[in-house]
Amino acid sequence: MTQPPLIQPLIALLILALIAVLLALVFWPGSGLFARWRRARRLDERVLIEDALKHLYGARLRQRKPTLQSLAGAANISADRAARLVERLTELELVELHNGDIRLTSEGETYALNVLRAHRLWERYLAEKTGFAESEWHERADWAEHTLSEDDLAALSSQLGHPMHDPHGDPIPTAEGDLVYHGGKPLNGMAPDKPLQIVHLEDEPEAVYAQLMAESLYPGMRLQVLETSPTRVRFWADGKEHVLAPIAAANVSVRALPAAEAVDDTPSRHLDSLQPGESAKVVRLSSRCRGIERRRLLDLGILPGTKITAELISPSGDPIAYRIRGALIALRRQQARLIDIEHPTGEAI
Amino acid sequence: MTASTAETMHPSTDGVQPDDILSTAQALRWQISGDFHEKIVEAAYAEAAAIADSVVTRPGASPRLALDRTIDRIVTSRLWGFPLMILLFTLVFWITIAGANLPSRWLAMLLVDWGHPALKQLADGIGLPWQLSGLLIDGMYLTTAWVVSVMLPPMAIFFPLFTLLEDAGYLPRVAFNLDNLFRKSGAHGKQSLSMMMGFGCNAAGVVATRIIDSPRERLIAMITNNFALCNGRWPTQILIATLFIGALAPAHLAGLVSATAVVGVTMLGILLTFLVSAGLSRTVLKGEASAYSLELPPYRPPRILQTIYTSIIDRTLYVLWRAIVFALPAGAVIWLIANIHIGGPSIAEHLIGFLNPVGLLIGLNGVILVAYIVAIPANEIVLPTILMLTVLSTGMHEAGAGAGVIFELASQNATYSILQAGGWTLLTGINLMLFSLIHNPCSTTIYTIYRESGSAKWTAVAALLPVVMGLLVTFVVAQVWGLFVA
Repeated sequence: MTQPPLIQPLIALLILALIAVLLALVFWPGSGLFARWRRARRLDERVLIEDALKHLYGARLRQRKPTLQSLAGAANISADRAARLVERLTELELVELHNGDIRLTSEGETYALNVLRAHRLWERYLAEKTGFAESEWHERADWAEHTLSEDDLAALSSQLGHPMHDPHGDPIPTAEGDLVYHGGKPLNGMAPDKPLQIVHLEDEPEAVYAQLMAESLYPGMRLQVLETSPTRVRFWADGKEHVLAPIAAANVSVRALPAAEAVDDTPSRHLDSLQPGESAKVVRLSSRCRGIERRRLLDLGILPGTKITAELISPSGDPIAYRIRGALIALRRQQARLIDIEHPTGEAI
Repeated sequence: MTASTAETMHPSTDGVQPDDILSTAQALRWQISGDFHEKIVEAAYAEAAAIADSVVTRPGASPRLALDRTIDRIVTSRLWGFPLMILLFTLVFWITIAGANLPSRWLAMLLVDWGHPALKQLADGIGLPWQLSGLLIDGMYLTTAWVVSVMLPPMAIFFPLFTLLEDAGYLPRVAFNLDNLFRKSGAHGKQSLSMMMGFGCNAAGVVATRIIDSPRERLIAMITNNFALCNGRWPTQILIATLFIGALAPAHLAGLVSATAVVGVTMLGILLTFLVSAGLSRTVLKGEASAYSLELPPYRPPRILQTIYTSIIDRTLYVLWRAIVFALPAGAVIWLIANIHIGGPSIAEHLIGFLNPVGLLIGLNGVILVAYIVAIPANEIVLPTILMLTVLSTGMHEAGAGAGVIFELASQNATYSILQAGGWTLLTGINLMLFSLIHNPCSTTIYTIYRESGSAKWTAVAALLPVVMGLLVTFVVAQVWGLFVA
């Protein structure tokens, strides 16, 4: 059109860029204003009280003495504010002071267990029913635990089939406040050559948990320690050798198995290593394969003992088509990696 | 288990209080290992498999299986897989375009060129007031007839062909070949098939996402299906490319250049499908559950008659019916805004004047924006509505068929001169092609997304995301154009 443009193009583009920058500042995940506002909102009274109770309960469990400083650190507030928080908690009769010790009252303990129940049920929910990555569970549950009502929890628990443990192996307190600890011992203190089973993986701090994830450890995994030294812990599990630093091994709790349940020491392979033409029997589905993904594989008839033959590789390299119980099913490599198989038979073509 | 059933099952425990039993059970629960649920499920599956193995007899390796393997090796081979795929789909599209041409013209002749004047005459004959005959015949009938004649023939050819390939067992192999590409953007290989279906009709493409059995990937496929250029938008793309882009090249290259422009827009659509899929799967959809599997069923000779019957009933007529339901009110709206006058100008002219500054800012104009708003029910009527509104707003009464009567012209030159009178430039042409690709899905598709996803939230995302993207893209193109070209 011949009429002059409404705004000079350069100015229009600059305005757009400015709006884009502003939106990014507000909504950027993690460090945007919106994310900060949400975090700031977390510091309301309910959240502070619940975080404090959780910290006090945890400290008692580990037989450590909670202090104002440790409390301030856990709730991410100043020491002054922590002091005022303790005052408020005593007012509410959730906490009592004994010669300078901060202790939970029985109401305080019930409350703390309820928060713990919310946290662990939510982690279980994230693991079973959603697609969020393992590394996100803890933080999301830390947020959700303050928002769930008792009715929500009852509904969630029944939806999940009243689970006993969260995905890290921690017991979930019942609505009545019952819970029994796994009674596991840290892996780094165990003697070699005894069959053991992982009962719990500590998910804090995150960096250590990431190491445990990288080694593909999971609650229920059977293992046998090969060597314990001040610098490392070597052990055998799921058909291969694992090595952890002692500080990481300390975050793995294990219990002894009867000697008869010796750990299988044949090296295992994963389905993704099967070449077209080769066949193998399934040993197990890794417990890292969860929720609907696991049910899908079971629905397809992938069970311990099922014979699987690799037939085709997609021209782009992934997925691979397998002959399973007469049907031809394509699975992606990342899924096939979660299926342990015996030594393959047959010739690769 | 309730206390009373516990008692009836164990009459010997008469002296024990139900509460004791419950608390014992509660205490014993903690001694069960954490994965007992899974153990039970696995045992149930193993038992089912054992029963099946003992009673189901399977014939040994049949010659059919060997033949299947040979076909599979060829259609998924590194060398032949992709060329074969491209060849087959080119063939399908070619048959659709070539085959739909003639029936489309017949339908248009019957319903529009002959049916419309005949109905008008009938209305005059029985003395229907002009307002009523305008609303019913010029508005509702004509718009619906238009949609049917553009939409029906290509779909009646494309869908059966596509269903034949599906029935024969070839389409799952396409998903298998392309899966890696879709995996990288967080989607499912089968999305290639719903996307392909989207080239016929987005509503049918959204229905086709039912084959994707993983919740997250299915939502991605539904939301991005709109980036597959549908049957209703091809004619707009081709005409505008011919008028504005082909005209830039020397006459003997014009056809090639405009075809390249249309293919370029289509490719941009595919690229956006991947980009938006990747974005969605990493942000708003990352919490949705996901489970992959892809069955490659045995090949079988397609049942041609049954396929044609079901694909016409299930897909073609379903989509056509929805389109008619939405086109009728759209036709009424188009006629009404062009014929109801408020203080002189019609509602349409008021709207055009109001939206023109915004339109110019994004390299389009008020007419185009009004046309896109009233043509939400069907992309097929965008261009006829643009022509009608341009004639209306520029006062060229010698062209067109009157206020509120959508039309198209056989002559490209005549069309071009109307658009030029409406102030169109090369930029308007380019941005219309872009906006036609990147805007909200038609109301049939939006409704289908709602039906299929059952979620108002994801339907809103599917409807609003592309229109916001389209406004941004056209805005940037227009402003950069203004900076460097004008």
